[in-house]
Parts: sequence; C-alpha cells; structure tokens
Amino acid sequence: MKLITIELKKIQSYRTFWIIFGLYFGFLALGIIMAEFMVNAMVDDVNKRLPIPLPHAVLFNFPDIWQNLTFFASIRYVLIFPAIVIIILTTNEFSYKTVRQNVVNGMSRNEFIFAKLQIVLLLTLVITFILTLVMFILGLIHSDSQSLTMMFDKFRFVFGFFVQMLTFLCFAFFVGFIFRHTGLAIALFTLYVLIIEPVIYFVFRAPFMWENTIYTYLPVNSVVRVVEYPAIPALERLMDFQLQGEVTLLSCAIPILYSVVMIAIVYWSFNRKDL
Amino acid sequence: METILSINQLSKRYGRIQAVNQLSLEVTKGQVFGILGPNGSGKTTTLSMVLDLVRPDNGTFEWFEEIPTKESRKRIGAVIETPNFFPYLSARKNLEIVAKVKGYDYNDIDHSLEVAGLFDRRHDKFRTYSFGMKQRLAVASALLNQPEVMILDEPTNGLDPQGIAQVRELILQVAKEGITIILASHLLDEVQKICDHVAVLNKGNCLFAEEVHEVLASSDCIELAAEDNQALKEAIENHPGFKSLTETDGIIMAVFSDNNPPGKVNDYLQQKGITLTHLSERKRTLEQHFLELLKDNPS
Repeated sequence: MKLITIELKKIQSYRTFWIIFGLYFGFLALGIIMAEFMVNAMVDDVNKRLPIPLPHAVLFNFPDIWQNLTFFASIRYVLIFPAIVIIILTTNEFSYKTVRQNVVNGMSRNEFIFAKLQIVLLLTLVITFILTLVMFILGLIHSDSQSLTMMFDKFRFVFGFFVQMLTFLCFAFFVGFIFRHTGLAIALFTLYVLIIEPVIYFVFRAPFMWENTIYTYLPVNSVVRVVEYPAIPALERLMDFQLQGEVTLLSCAIPILYSVVMIAIVYWSFNRKDL
Repeated sequence: METILSINQLSKRYGRIQAVNQLSLEVTKGQVFGILGPNGSGKTTTLSMVLDLVRPDNGTFEWFEEIPTKESRKRIGAVIETPNFFPYLSARKNLEIVAKVKGYDYNDIDHSLEVAGLFDRRHDKFRTYSFGMKQRLAVASALLNQPEVMILDEPTNGLDPQGIAQVRELILQVAKEGITIILASHLLDEVQKICDHVAVLNKGNCLFAEEVHEVLASSDCIELAAEDNQALKEAIENHPGFKSLTETDGIIMAVFSDNNPPGKVNDYLQQKGITLTHLSERKRTLEQHFLELLKDNPS
C-alpha cells in the first residue's frame, strides 16, 4: 500500500496524465459512435443491391455490448493512449532523476519496479471498471428486459479486455524502463505498434500465407487478437472473417507470456545498470 | 567514535576512465567531512556508489558499521548532483513523497521548509522556483526528520553569492546540531569554511585525508624577497627541500619540504650570498596545499 500511495502522489496533480487518460475515453466514445455510423452506412449501401437485407449493427445490446465495446476499447489506435501514460510516468522518473532520489531515500530497486507495476495494474483495473460500468449502463438503456444469464453471457470479453490492457501496459512499462527517454520511448513504441507490426503483416501475408504463424505471435497482435472482432453479424458478410464467439485461454496466454518475459528483462537490467 | 561510513578499496571504471581507484575512507560520527577535488575527480561517483545508485566494480562499503541496505539509506539525507524533484508538483508534495519513501509521517515537512526559507512558497510548483530555491529545497529534503548523516554534492554549485551564503549558513547550522555531514565540493574555500575533515580526490585517487586544521597548521610556506629576485629564485629552486614557488608583486611564496623553518632557509640563502629584504612565515591555505598535491600527483 505504501508504494501505491507514493505513485499516486506523483500522479495526483499531474495534468498530462489526466489529459491523456481523458483522451483515451474521448477517442473511444468517438470511435464507437463513428463505427456504428459507418457500419450502418455500409449496410445501407449494400442493402440496395441485396434481395434479403443485412441487419443493422446493434452495438449496445446485451450481451453483444461486452464484446463490441471491449473490441473498440482495445483497437491499437485507442490502446496507445494509456500506454503512453505509462511510458511517460516511467521515463519521467529518469528525466527528472527522481528515480535516483527514490533510491537514495531508501527505496530498493525492486520496490521501484514493483511500484510501477502496481500503477500498471491499478490503471488497468480503473479503465476496465469504468468501461464495464459504461457498458452496463448503455446495455440497460438499449436492451429489452433480459434474464441475467443472457445479459452477462459474453462477460468473459471483459476479462479478455483486462488481459489485453494489462499486458499492453506491461509492454509500455518495458519500453519506458529500457529506453528511459520520454520522446524516444514514445516514438519507438508508437512506430512499432502502429507501423512496424502492421507492415510485417502486409509483407508476409500475400506471398507466404504466414499470417497465422508469425503475425499471430507478434507481441502487439497477440494482444489485439484476444478480442479480435466485434459482434456485428453484417460485417461477417461485408468483410471476410468469422465472428469470434469466445475469448480463448490460449489467446490470453501468449500476451501474458510476453509480459512475464518483459518484466523479467526489466528486473534483470534495472538491477544491474547504474542510475 | 562510532563509524558512520567506511569505504574500503572502492573502484569504478567507465570505459577507459578510472573514475574511482581503490578509494578507502572513514567518516566518524559528528564530522563535517569534505570530499574535495576538481570536476571529474570521482566525487559524485563515490557518493553514488555508497548510495546504491552506481554499482562498484570492486570494493565494499559499510554504513553505520553494517552491510548497507535500503534501511540504512533511510537514515541518510542525501542530494546527489542537481536537485531531483517533480517539476509539476509543489515543494510540499515533493517532500511528502520523500517522507513517504523514508517511512515518516508529514509532521516534519513544514519545519524543514521553514529552515530552508521556503515555507511561504511551499504550495508553488517546483518548476517555478529559482535555482537557489531548488538547491535549498534539496537541502530541506535531505534535512527531513533529522537524518543521522547528511550528504551534499556541490550544494552551492551555480548559486549567486547570496544563495551560497544562505546554503552554507544552513549547513553550519545543521552541523551544530551534531548531524554528520559529508560534503563534496570542488571549491576549496567552501571546504575550508565548512568542514573539519577533508579528503582530496584527483582522477579517482585519494591524495590525502586529514583534519582541515592540521592541513592549515603545516607552515612550510615562506614569503621571501631580495634585491635581486632572479638570483633568489634560482637559489630557492636549488634548495634540496624545494617544492614550489610563485611570485606576486615582487614577493616570492615558496614551499619547502618539512623541517625547513624560515631560519634555516635564511641561513641557506646567506651562504649563497643573498640578503633578504623580506622574510615571513605564512600559514598555507588549503588551496596551496591542494595545488601542490595535484602537482605532485599528475597521474
């Protein structure tokens, strides 16, 4: 409890933190509204030519809302915001040299790592909680009365989302500790997440048909794949994919394994390097 | 006397540079211990090693006669290099973090801020502070909850004369309360004014460590002048115990090895046929001693 109170003190009146944190939910809301609008525009367009019209996307109905909103909340463009928060909170300690002061004042290096991991966990819990609350309220508003079993049928997607957020933030924690400079860490992280991995996907996809091997196991994609598709039946027809019905343990295991390795590397290198 | 810090054969190398070379030191309770040396002599590296910031290549150290742990660091108030605080937090909030890390409550924070003269500005963000105020906040954070030892690394670096005076005043005040102080500085004047013990470092080597008043007491600096200063200089340079010589405004300041009191030097010069017009013994300042040591150990 002591470590987390110290970390919270560092965050409390840090405006940058609150702005980026707010941006995450802002972009998320915007993304969901736009997604519903765009999918339905697409459906309307296609329906002009189809004898049997496709159904409109219904994002906010129980139990699909759990899958839909966790899907949008874990798109890499959205996920990057809380990750940047974690990177900044970590690299700040190096640029302000407060990590040195913490150690000088009697924090062990492992406690310092542990404190940052606690923030990762706390931020994940808070985001998951807020999202769950929003989904629950939106679901109640948009759904007809349903049985509880029906309402929470796809609630495991929330657990999937929790794993996604936790592991993605662990990646950010790793990048922050390894690169130490705020600008460098954010640039490399963003470059990797938004450009390098997608490029790897497109390069290897066509000629080799390897997308199910290499690409699946790349760190960021392994996270994104946990909640891979929204529950929008029309999309299945419009685009070429199979609807995802489950969050599998295997898909969670890969990103968790990555996180464990990254935490281990941080632990190893931080204990050896000079501060 | 209780040993506060004992360093044994501590070494650290950065690539081709030997930052600290087999350094051994001992600081006992109540001392105001100065670590003196030019920039790059290994002062900060040494302090960083004993505070667990830098991993030594070789050697050991003990705090309070025990193997050091994070708990021993909680008994030390230290500021290394620049003041390290969160710029977006107020002084008060920054010190709350320090107190929390050390495991104290917040009762002593306002007192520390008062001592450092920052109480009125305690709710202002750290980044709005002048350099002198930042430096004083660093001292305030080191002072929090009366540590047993205070470590200060170049505490007056970059301050204006008024700021320097304030920080020095503060340190002397703390020393009076019996807190052991370890102060690293490249300013001789500072060490001379504040410290009672001094260790001189150059290129990672400890040149000597002794009490400041002993250093000052050695009186082998002699002021001389003659009708023909040129001949005088030659004669002095040929003296078997000659160490160094400077000339200012027709007065020659010469340093001889021990056992060469002014009378003996005068006898020697008369034998050489030089009659002095001026002869006096001067207490050597730490600065002269320091420069000689650097000359003797060019390494």
